Amino acid sequence: MTSMAKTLAAALLAAASTITLSATQAAAGGVLRLDEVPVGELDPAKATDYADSMLMFNVYDTLVVAKQGEAGLVPDLAESWSVDGNSYTFKLRSDVKFQSGNPLTADDVVFSLKRMQAVGQGLSYLFTNVKDAVAVDPHTVRFDLKMAYSPFLAALQRLPIVDKKLVMEHLGKGDGDMKDWGQAWLSTHAAGSGAYSVVSHNPQQETVMKKNPGYFIKIPEAAPDEVHLRYGLEAATVRTQIPRGEDDITSQWLPPEVLKSLAKGGAQLLHEPGGGELYIKMNTAKAPLDDVNCRLALASAFDYGTAIKMVAITPTVSQGAPSTGAIPVGMLGALPKDRAFKHDLDAAKSYLAKCKYKPSDFTLKLSWIAEVPLEERFALLMQSNFSEIGIKSEIVKVPWALYTEQVTKVDSTPDVSQVFVNAVTGDPDTLLYGMYHSTKTATWQSSEHLSDPKVDALLEKARTENDPKAREATYVELNKLLVSLAPTIYAYDNQAVFAASNRVKVPALSDSSKEFGLPGMGFTFRLMEMTGN
Amino acid sequence: MRRALFILLRNPLSLIGIILVAVVVLSALSADFLTPFPADRGAAVHFELANQPPDWPHIFGTDLVGRDLFSRIIFAYRISLFLGVVVLAIAVPVGVTIGLVAGYFGGWIEFLLMRITDVFLSIPPLVLAMSIMGVLAPTLTNGMLAVTAMWWPWYTRLVYNLARSEKEEGYVLAAEIIGASKPHILFREILPNCVPAILTKMTLDMGFVILIVSSLSFLGLGVQPPTPDLGSMVAEGAGYMPDSWWLTVFPGLAILFAVFGFNLLGDALRELLGVEQ
Amino acid sequence: MIVLIGVSMLIFAIARVIPGDPARIALGPNATAEQVADLREKLHLNAPVVVQYGIFLRDLFHGDLGQSLYTNRAVTTDIAQFLPATLELVFVSGFMMIVLGLPLGVLSARYRGRWIDTAIRLVSLLGVSAPSFVWAVIFMLLFAFYLPIFPIAGQISDTIKLPAVTGFVMIDALIAGNLAAFFDALRHIILPAFSLALAGIGQAARLTRSSMVETYEKPFIEMARSYGFMESRIASHFALRPSLIPSLTVIGLDFAALLANAFLVEQVFAWPGLSRYGVQVILRKDLNAIVGTVLVISAMFLIVNIVVDLLIAFINPRIRLSQRPA
Repeated sequence: MTSMAKTLAAALLAAASTITLSATQAAAGGVLRLDEVPVGELDPAKATDYADSMLMFNVYDTLVVAKQGEAGLVPDLAESWSVDGNSYTFKLRSDVKFQSGNPLTADDVVFSLKRMQAVGQGLSYLFTNVKDAVAVDPHTVRFDLKMAYSPFLAALQRLPIVDKKLVMEHLGKGDGDMKDWGQAWLSTHAAGSGAYSVVSHNPQQETVMKKNPGYFIKIPEAAPDEVHLRYGLEAATVRTQIPRGEDDITSQWLPPEVLKSLAKGGAQLLHEPGGGELYIKMNTAKAPLDDVNCRLALASAFDYGTAIKMVAITPTVSQGAPSTGAIPVGMLGALPKDRAFKHDLDAAKSYLAKCKYKPSDFTLKLSWIAEVPLEERFALLMQSNFSEIGIKSEIVKVPWALYTEQVTKVDSTPDVSQVFVNAVTGDPDTLLYGMYHSTKTATWQSSEHLSDPKVDALLEKARTENDPKAREATYVELNKLLVSLAPTIYAYDNQAVFAASNRVKVPALSDSSKEFGLPGMGFTFRLMEMTGN
Repeated sequence: MRRALFILLRNPLSLIGIILVAVVVLSALSADFLTPFPADRGAAVHFELANQPPDWPHIFGTDLVGRDLFSRIIFAYRISLFLGVVVLAIAVPVGVTIGLVAGYFGGWIEFLLMRITDVFLSIPPLVLAMSIMGVLAPTLTNGMLAVTAMWWPWYTRLVYNLARSEKEEGYVLAAEIIGASKPHILFREILPNCVPAILTKMTLDMGFVILIVSSLSFLGLGVQPPTPDLGSMVAEGAGYMPDSWWLTVFPGLAILFAVFGFNLLGDALRELLGVEQ
Repeated sequence: MIVLIGVSMLIFAIARVIPGDPARIALGPNATAEQVADLREKLHLNAPVVVQYGIFLRDLFHGDLGQSLYTNRAVTTDIAQFLPATLELVFVSGFMMIVLGLPLGVLSARYRGRWIDTAIRLVSLLGVSAPSFVWAVIFMLLFAFYLPIFPIAGQISDTIKLPAVTGFVMIDALIAGNLAAFFDALRHIILPAFSLALAGIGQAARLTRSSMVETYEKPFIEMARSYGFMESRIASHFALRPSLIPSLTVIGLDFAALLANAFLVEQVFAWPGLSRYGVQVILRKDLNAIVGTVLVISAMFLIVNIVVDLLIAFINPRIRLSQRPA
């Protein structure tokens, strides 16, 4: 039921190198049970969505990871790095061994990049700007970029390092020297160095993981000994398993009503600040929404307050927070909180008066993705909001597969559609470039079909700018421009909310000083504590 | 006629069937006057009333956007009945004609037609409809199309068997001897003798069409929201059990109520018309 | 066999016209045009449909149904994994259908016209009248939530670990000699199997009743009565046997219908069978998996019906004899 939500929202999970666990009366280890939506993709070169990320960041390691409690990156497998123009050189730790016992060297890093690029799936597009990777010596690796590309460091959080020797022993069928690059084998086996190793993996049902005793950072006793990540439990099942302690942490794809009843029954609510938003996309290439005033009229008529109330769970916890623009609050380039959008019918009416189309001349098609039932409610909300300024609309339910086909052409793209998008590296570039750059091929991400030279110029400037301050200024400018062009209704900043049993404590998902600024990172199992209940 | 009515009314089960069907049909027809909140059939929203348990004036409770569940169920009956009538209106003539032709002519025509029918029959109906709905956008029209595509072979089978035995009967041979045209023999001579069986099956099928359409929409492949549909109501509500039980229990019982009625009526007809199973 | 080839052609044709480019869906939104083109080439999607079908048949002959784009595994692996759970469910509810449906029908016919008959007819008609998913939801609410007698969902408690020998959890439990696991699995299967079987139980009871009633009117029953046989003996020895034939035929058909309805019940009880896989692959336009799943289900459907035909031949000496070479 919610599997599409998962595909729509791809998120990042990373491990922090510093551990600050208060030693509570935590009993040692135990089994942690979680649920997510299928499929769990174990091949790290194909990982895109939430479950995949949870697997990838616990089983594999990356050169750098996000900081805890604040923005920025810290070394992980790398000891240090230096940047020289478009070349990035990393010094690797020398004490890291893969779960197989093989030492981790620069050769493995080069292999991992090449493999990612050759397989060409998942998030490999993050590395299309990388010309080459060179192992300078066993513990030094250099990446040469084709052009200036400032999101590169952040992208490295998405380059898990695989065990070259082990993979080469398990090449499957295929043409060329590298055969299938070990794809067949890696879809059911792991070749990582991470804190947890895979005991068994079934992409539709369950992945069982256990602590890796040889991990290069000491794993606290209280961290779960064994983790069962189960796929595809029904909401009603989860609803009864959490209070009974048969499930410990739910997925974030539960409807607000179910989270509400779980919270009422005593479950703790874990939450993660958003790295994305609910984007209500308007087709800017087709009448009547090719007129900016018509778009602004809709954006002003939308009832932001009710939308957030609809996804509220308790008075303090909600699946949505007020949005201020194209970039979620907290991310580079976000606009301040006091610029949150408001439901303003007078403004909507005056914009509508300036629009060259009359409301009596058109009926808008409001689509919602069949696999994300929550969207039906937003479609209904919009229909009632828009009718307040005299705009007629009809609601269409579209299965995801059909939607991806429709958006490739302007004419078949619905007037209004809804998509949840998260930044996979926490960098606004991964969020906005694919969404608004006019040269990107039409996909679900860019169903606005926006073509604006100023937006293009700012997007390009921001990704080649290396100075963080200047980058931020560029994104703020771009953000303001997008708000005035209104290709999208920025409905709310998405917040992931999970219900959890009292068998587990997750500081990274409940304490703001331990929080990672990015979705998914809180699921670093070694930073969780089993309470022994 | 009066005798028929007497027989129907004397059997308590038939009587219950007639009452149930009458209630369903009449309430569907007069939904606009009967339901307390007729506007809730469509895309109305009352978020302040969302997810309320059964109480006055929402006797079946409200759904997740605050619409009156009772009103939506009655309007869903209207859609289901309409679907049932249309599906049978297309599937029966098609299936019956193919069955008559195959049964009467025999030879390679029979072989060809019946093998095609077998192909359709050997894919479980629900699976076939699912595959078809995967192809088409989930709209009302396409839903009817998918269900019709899986329905005609059953009539072909039924009529084929009847026609094969009827064609050996004296009256058909007589018609052939006096040189009656083929269409005349098929539709004027053989068909009338198949009518009781067809009619009984149609009554029973009315219930089953409702059932299969609701199954399709239960899997998310049927009628398009915000059009009220019983199957999708059950499916959506199932995620909110046990807290919001009314979301799924009432639509489920509504399906049971209607299909049960048509089944009882079909049974009664079968006995009345002396049709063998 | 002809029918199976027809089925494969039909499903193949349907699967190819589902809108959406499978290559693009598989690669995700950020794939470049070249990547999509490459995958299309690799999957032979650019070839004419007839050629694609030829390739499919060739692979099928080698027991290869292709890769699933959804799980990145061989479709045969996926089906082999999910089919046993579905079959286990279907077999148990088929069993319920026979052991509950037939006796109810016999009882009903035996006490024709009395209250017991009316009650049984009413109950069996109710069973036929609601889709299995409605029963599933109602039973789950009553016997898993309000009265927590049965587990909510799943096939077995996940604290129990069993070596997978046959893939059938209950059989695996017996092989492992783990009785606790067997009873745990049994507790899990009762609600879904019963929800699934209810329609069939009703159908079987109704049919058995009507054919028994017909048989009761035959002269040989009168004869038996006049010889002074006891009523129960008449029912079990004389009336039941000939009545079994139409019942079995329909049970065969129903048994096959169970396979399809299992889709609905599995959805409610989160049963790890083919259902979720089937629905997901249709939504994701995973061509190989759609064709494979439907083909396997249809094959099961046909096999069950052939078995029923053989069974009928076994019960009915007339058919058995007529098929013997003279």
